[in-house]
Amino acid sequence: MRDTIQPPGARLGDRGRRLLERGRRFDSEALLPQLASALVGGTLLTLGLRRGRLGGVAMALAGGGLLFRGTRTDQEPHVRKHGVVVRTLRRQRGRDTTVELTVLQRSITLQGTPDALYRRWRDPETLNQVMGHFAEVTASGDGLQHWKVPGVFGKALEWDAEVVEEHPGELLRWRSVGDTALPNEGWVRFRRAPADWGTSVTLRFVFDPPGGVVGEKAVKLLGALPSLLALKALKRFKSLVEAGEIPTTRPNPAAREGGYSS
Amino acid sequence: MRALCWNGINDLGVETVGDPRIVNPRDVILQVKMSTTCGSDLHFIDGYIPSMRKGDVIGHEFMGTVVETGPEVKKVHVGDRVVVPSFICCGSCWYCQHDLWSLCDNTNPKGELQEPLFGYQTAGIYGYTHAFGGYAGAHAQFVRVPHADTDCFQVPEGVTDEQALFLSDAVPTGYMGADFCGIQPGQTVAVWGCGGVGLMAQKAAFLLGAERVVGIDRYPERLKLAREQVGAETISYEEVDSVLDVLKELTGGRGPDACIDAVGMEAHGTGVVAAVDRARQALHLQSDRGQALRQAILACRKGGTLSVLGVYGVMDAFPMGVIMNKGLTVRSAQQHGQKYLPRLLEHVVKGELDPSFLATHRFSLEDAPRGYELFKKKQDGCVRAVFLPN
Ligand SMILES: [Zn+2]
Ligand SMILES: [Zn+2]
Repeated sequence: MRDTIQPPGARLGDRGRRLLERGRRFDSEALLPQLASALVGGTLLTLGLRRGRLGGVAMALAGGGLLFRGTRTDQEPHVRKHGVVVRTLRRQRGRDTTVELTVLQRSITLQGTPDALYRRWRDPETLNQVMGHFAEVTASGDGLQHWKVPGVFGKALEWDAEVVEEHPGELLRWRSVGDTALPNEGWVRFRRAPADWGTSVTLRFVFDPPGGVVGEKAVKLLGALPSLLALKALKRFKSLVEAGEIPTTRPNPAAREGGYSS
Repeated sequence: MRALCWNGINDLGVETVGDPRIVNPRDVILQVKMSTTCGSDLHFIDGYIPSMRKGDVIGHEFMGTVVETGPEVKKVHVGDRVVVPSFICCGSCWYCQHDLWSLCDNTNPKGELQEPLFGYQTAGIYGYTHAFGGYAGAHAQFVRVPHADTDCFQVPEGVTDEQALFLSDAVPTGYMGADFCGIQPGQTVAVWGCGGVGLMAQKAAFLLGAERVVGIDRYPERLKLAREQVGAETISYEEVDSVLDVLKELTGGRGPDACIDAVGMEAHGTGVVAAVDRARQALHLQSDRGQALRQAILACRKGGTLSVLGVYGVMDAFPMGVIMNKGLTVRSAQQHGQKYLPRLLEHVVKGELDPSFLATHRFSLEDAPRGYELFKKKQDGCVRAVFLPN
């Protein structure tokens, strides 16, 4: 299923439809950022109108904008992803073609030295646990890692990755090899943090599939919340290292799903 | 097991749900001996805080007996009688190590839901919405307690179940609020709210050296508890023209050295689901709640301290200029229970603190919805309803 590269305008239709579809199955959790926006918006709007002076009008306008944003379900993705580093860069490829390059990058600060954390990251079992929210990662001989994202269009999305750059205690870079629907690369960087904060760790994924599915669509393959992919992986790494385990509520007693929920 | 579940806005029911299991290696399973209602539960029962899901088990203030331990649990043993703070904490992140327990980085599996609201995530809580982790609560026969070695505190001989119960949440919250005030001998502390947390803040202010404590509320039976159980002076804000004037007169025109806002979000209206309607209702609610906070800011003496324990959402029209011009210090937090529990247990053992008078009503778990009704409507002098599930 090869995607033709479309002009940016043509893509919006597809995106709008998808978001509309997503909007229909909002539960109260998914609604939270929107509700927050609606809360702030409604508050500012009412206060602003009540004051009725120039400052009040400005406040009402600002409030109205937020309220609008809060109650719409078919928003631009960059609005919904507000606060998360998701960049879609355009890279010129050939004369007439632009390709979207999706970069997911987040940083986290955790206890431990860069050296110790780097070693922990390199432990083959760690990556499997840390990426467990979306992929199974196993060592597959010849220094390769095998990544498997289950359940995409009824079958798993898989690739092998190789380490292409390694600076112990500082940086590790990897890249998918061979034929895959989702070519990608990534790196993780460890830097000493100030005072007693330990180490800042930055994780970046770049999805840049030449000739395959493109940009945003590729990221969609990774599930409902690709913008959180890097952040969740880092949070899981942090909890694993600092607290010895990754927090979970699965399974959780509840009056649903056979007495449990996840 | 049986558990009290949130089935929708203002719809609580006791249901049969699955027993909790050891999931992570530092978990224990607690057989709950007692749990109690908390004002902050009312926020999501009424639907003002989103991210509850139908069927969630609620309740975050509890004590009980350990019945099962995970393989990595070292200090806690089967049979231990323990009290557990309502925030789940890892004990090893920067925040836990700096005694900022409710800000723990590692116990909220759904922390990303909080980031649009708060910028960063907080710790997880039992039975308190999915934004706060989605953990099953303790109004149940059993509850799973993660990071048990950090979060379970042995209840010494001679301390009753009821005394221990309130050390889970109401007492450490109130104590922390008084601790934030940096009370010096001879000082006067005013506390808005005479519910469980407010009464404990008043008691703690005395324990920390305050000379005078003033409790402000409108329910006569709560004001009576403040006078008789805590030894505070009281103001019924419905019976005076100006709380500010009364506080000024009580302090020779100077104002209280520290003011504690322990007014929880109150219940108003019912059954609104649409986000915009909810926002409008929340606005109405905020102006109500804002009154106590603004009054505290006005009443506080120049250069004094404002300590905020009341639960707020997105606060509008915050009088920052008053705080700035009066040179107030503002401190606030959700409770850092793990910091205070050892010293609170000591106070109880020495007989300096007995919070069991908060337990005005007792119910079996099966009657818990009735308990919440009484608690919410503050009928029959209900300060806290205690549930006995087993
Ligand atoms: Zn509480
Ligand atoms: Zn922690």
